Amino acid sequence: MKKLLSILMVFALLLPVTAAFGQDDMMEQPLVGFWEQCPTPENLPETVNVGAIFGLSEAVAVYGTAQQNAVQLAVDEINASHYLGESTTLVVMFEDSAGNRDQAIAAMTKLVEEDGVVAVLGPTLSSEAFAADPVAQENSTVVMGVSNTANGITEMGDYVFRDSLPEGAVIPGTIAQAAEILGLAKVGLFYGNDDDFTVSGYEVFKAALEENSIEILGEETFAKGDVDFNAQLTNLIAAEPDALVVSALAAEATQIILQARALGYEGPIIGGNGFNSPAVLRDSGADSEGLIVGGAWNYGNPNPSESSVQFVEMYEAAYEMSPDQFAAQAYTGAWLMATAIRCADSTDRTDVRDALAGIADFDSPLGVFSFDEDRNPVHDPIAQIVVEGKFQPLALVMGE
Amino acid sequence: MEFLRSIGITEIVMQFMLINAILGLSMYLVLYTGMFSLANAGFMSIGAYTGVILTQNFDQPLWVGLLGGMAVAGVLAVPIGLPVLRLKDIYLAIATIGFGEVVRILILNFDTLAGSLTGESVRLTRGALGITGIPKITETWHLAAFLVVTGFIMIRLHRSRFGRAMAAVRQDEPAAANMGINVVYTKNMVFIMSAVLAAAAGVLKAHLTRTISPGDYGFDQAVSILAFAVLGGTSTWVGPLVGGFVLTALPEVLRDFKQYRGIVNGSILLLVIVYLPGGLVNPAGWSQLWTRLRGKKQGDTLTAEVS
Amino acid sequence: MNITQQVVNAIWLGGVYSLFALGYALVFSILGVLNLAHSAVFMWGAFIGLVMVTQFSFSVWLAIPVAMLGAGLIGVLLDAVAFAPLRRRNAPRIAQLISSIGAAILLVNIAQLIFGTQPERFPLGSIPTDTIEGLPFRITPIQIIILLVSVALMALLQYMVIRTRAGQAMRAVAFNQRVASLLGVNVSGIFRMTFFLAGALAGAAGVLYGLAYNSMTPFMGDQVALKGLTVIVLGGMGNIQGAVVGGFVVAALEVFSIANGGSNYRDAFVFTLLFLILLFRPQGLVGQKEHTRA
Repeated sequence: MKKLLSILMVFALLLPVTAAFGQDDMMEQPLVGFWEQCPTPENLPETVNVGAIFGLSEAVAVYGTAQQNAVQLAVDEINASHYLGESTTLVVMFEDSAGNRDQAIAAMTKLVEEDGVVAVLGPTLSSEAFAADPVAQENSTVVMGVSNTANGITEMGDYVFRDSLPEGAVIPGTIAQAAEILGLAKVGLFYGNDDDFTVSGYEVFKAALEENSIEILGEETFAKGDVDFNAQLTNLIAAEPDALVVSALAAEATQIILQARALGYEGPIIGGNGFNSPAVLRDSGADSEGLIVGGAWNYGNPNPSESSVQFVEMYEAAYEMSPDQFAAQAYTGAWLMATAIRCADSTDRTDVRDALAGIADFDSPLGVFSFDEDRNPVHDPIAQIVVEGKFQPLALVMGE
Repeated sequence: MEFLRSIGITEIVMQFMLINAILGLSMYLVLYTGMFSLANAGFMSIGAYTGVILTQNFDQPLWVGLLGGMAVAGVLAVPIGLPVLRLKDIYLAIATIGFGEVVRILILNFDTLAGSLTGESVRLTRGALGITGIPKITETWHLAAFLVVTGFIMIRLHRSRFGRAMAAVRQDEPAAANMGINVVYTKNMVFIMSAVLAAAAGVLKAHLTRTISPGDYGFDQAVSILAFAVLGGTSTWVGPLVGGFVLTALPEVLRDFKQYRGIVNGSILLLVIVYLPGGLVNPAGWSQLWTRLRGKKQGDTLTAEVS
Repeated sequence: MNITQQVVNAIWLGGVYSLFALGYALVFSILGVLNLAHSAVFMWGAFIGLVMVTQFSFSVWLAIPVAMLGAGLIGVLLDAVAFAPLRRRNAPRIAQLISSIGAAILLVNIAQLIFGTQPERFPLGSIPTDTIEGLPFRITPIQIIILLVSVALMALLQYMVIRTRAGQAMRAVAFNQRVASLLGVNVSGIFRMTFFLAGALAGAAGVLYGLAYNSMTPFMGDQVALKGLTVIVLGGMGNIQGAVVGGFVVAALEVFSIANGGSNYRDAFVFTLLFLILLFRPQGLVGQKEHTRA
């Protein structure tokens, strides 16, 4: 029985690999990577193990599986193009944390102390990162969050990185642009009050609104798992705001758009990273018209970088669905980690850390990417508005 | 040790096992007295927040945080227990779930609430983000020592008059009252002890995971604690201990199953409870299972007798 | 407009809550156990409906009865695997609670393997979503349909339990299993039927919920599990009208605490009321004084 299971498992694991291999012959050298800046490494062992902790079961799996897919895609490209040298294979050991702090700590301990990985990607949630990242820090092992947006993540230590723009780097720009272009004077604010992601977003929104002297007519909250927002929206809409400002995750975002429109609200809806998912646009259909989204990366970006276009093509070919921001950040994260290993030409954890910290002007699907001195990402966020069912740059559509 | 590590039970997993054993024992106390209370997750959060605020905001050592958390939970258990423990069975369970949810929401909104009452900006529980950056000061020997002391108290308790009163209340409340046992006192006392134990686990765990947030202590946690006790078996106090160990270690040991982990985990849980309804530590259950396995025929007559 | 709209919001939400709670209440009223896998059956119902529509091009209205049948069979399977063996062994009810958790984990994980984790939805245009014009409040056709179907299912269930022979047998079993079996009632058959009905109700609820909110994941049951529990306790456990009353009361309470500016404490209001009701009316809002269960 166990044997049968392991055979099944091998097949299940191989499936995406073979799917991705079909592409290889067409593409010798991926557009991502420091092909010129760092020479092909010569001192790496046959296999280089990197860990990845994602939420692959329970509700968090909505994000975690997209991250796993994207990392696997990157790893297949990296190995097929011999990015780490002719005879070196990059192996990612995926561990499930189920969105659970205890499991994230256990997985981090296992990877760093038992499996001896060079570095770790993840964990999916900021709350898991606060619990598990110190384990990596204590073992002088790089950990890079690819979806942690809460404040204070990289303050945990000099081995803690992230490539996911915190809300504070995305929202103020979106609000400032929207305020200027749309002439916002008064808005209604709506957020989930029991989730660290949505609360962080709310705090940044609130500060940005005050900065731009926009009046907040009313604040309403919802709780994790809510699906009906009619009561709160009825309240907010009754105050006749110029825009609804919403901090929510993708599942709630769709419902909020649909229900606000069904209640007769026709004005703009401004959202953060949570709204930045192809599913939101797909599922809210015509109701998404006038949706303004700030984010790190967007599937519908009309002016994507070349590597972004290639990433979307590869991802869609391998998994038969469109990538979201989580996938783009995870994919970039895997490439960044491989690049650090390539440039370090070593599997020494400290060498890899130093090489990673030194990455600048890296051409990735997220745009031109660098780390700042606090190991936080630096790249241009996007502010977009949905016009006729498509994302358009906010500044372009409304005229400067 | 080497073997344990090779199957995924690292030191941190062992520490979680010890903590969950304490939680299992806190559940055992109420179940042993015939009370189906699911308040333990709520008391765990009260303990965790009190303990962390003592060690972080008031710079107290861990043992002060531990005693403080236990004391606050114990005191709060009185006004909760007095009205609620009049309820029975599922009604008690639901009322205590309600208690847990109210505690969670109050902690979530504590800063805003306190802020609007005092007129100053309060940053104590920090809402949904929770408290982060708690130093990891709980050590394995703290947990082991705590569990040994608790085990010792359990043994003494069962030999005491009070322990016999607990059993009597579970078996037949009116009869116990007729025998001169103060039922209300017994139930409330046990409820307080259970709350204190859960709170201790909360404090110790908070100083292990470095971060706490209100969402950690919801309905799911309450049900997990119940599962530790029931799966381990509540006929002796060793059962919940084993239940806490097994249910914590299982998901880690099963990591090699990758995406099938949840299925295997769920199946094991289901099989154990179906074949050993009295829990893992229950000699009668094992001997019944043994009979069933040895000869289907004998097993059948046996189950027929039982049902 | 505002108040009228909030009343409509409350009625609509109440319909959704009641529908989910019905199956939950049915199992509890007949067997006296909490079936924590009910929300997993609900999720399976939604996915069966979805597969019927997307893979077999069923119309949505035809998909509902198929989903009910499928979810009903899953209910029967659930009984056979997680409940019946424990009943045979005279295990305590608390053991059945734990086995239902195991079954829920299993059902959710199997669904994750088959359907993946990305939110699924019914194809655009499979249901009318435009707001109805000319009313003093806003409501969509699907909302009205769901309310009507919910009320119809509740009425049907009530009729079945009160008027039919099978319903009488169910009530006899609920009252006393031993006596019922002495009267010649096939007790395990009644249990199976109860699980089938509860599963079918969960299946209908799953599809309608999926249509209303148009987002389905293997984890969608988590969203309603605790709410369903609140609803049946508030209304009076083990009582079909109770589930309905409870659903509308919880919804009204939520909507009006939000309407009056308390969205932060919405759930605290609900649970405090729950707490008080348990203390002063443990039989629930519409339960009888004497409960038949020990």
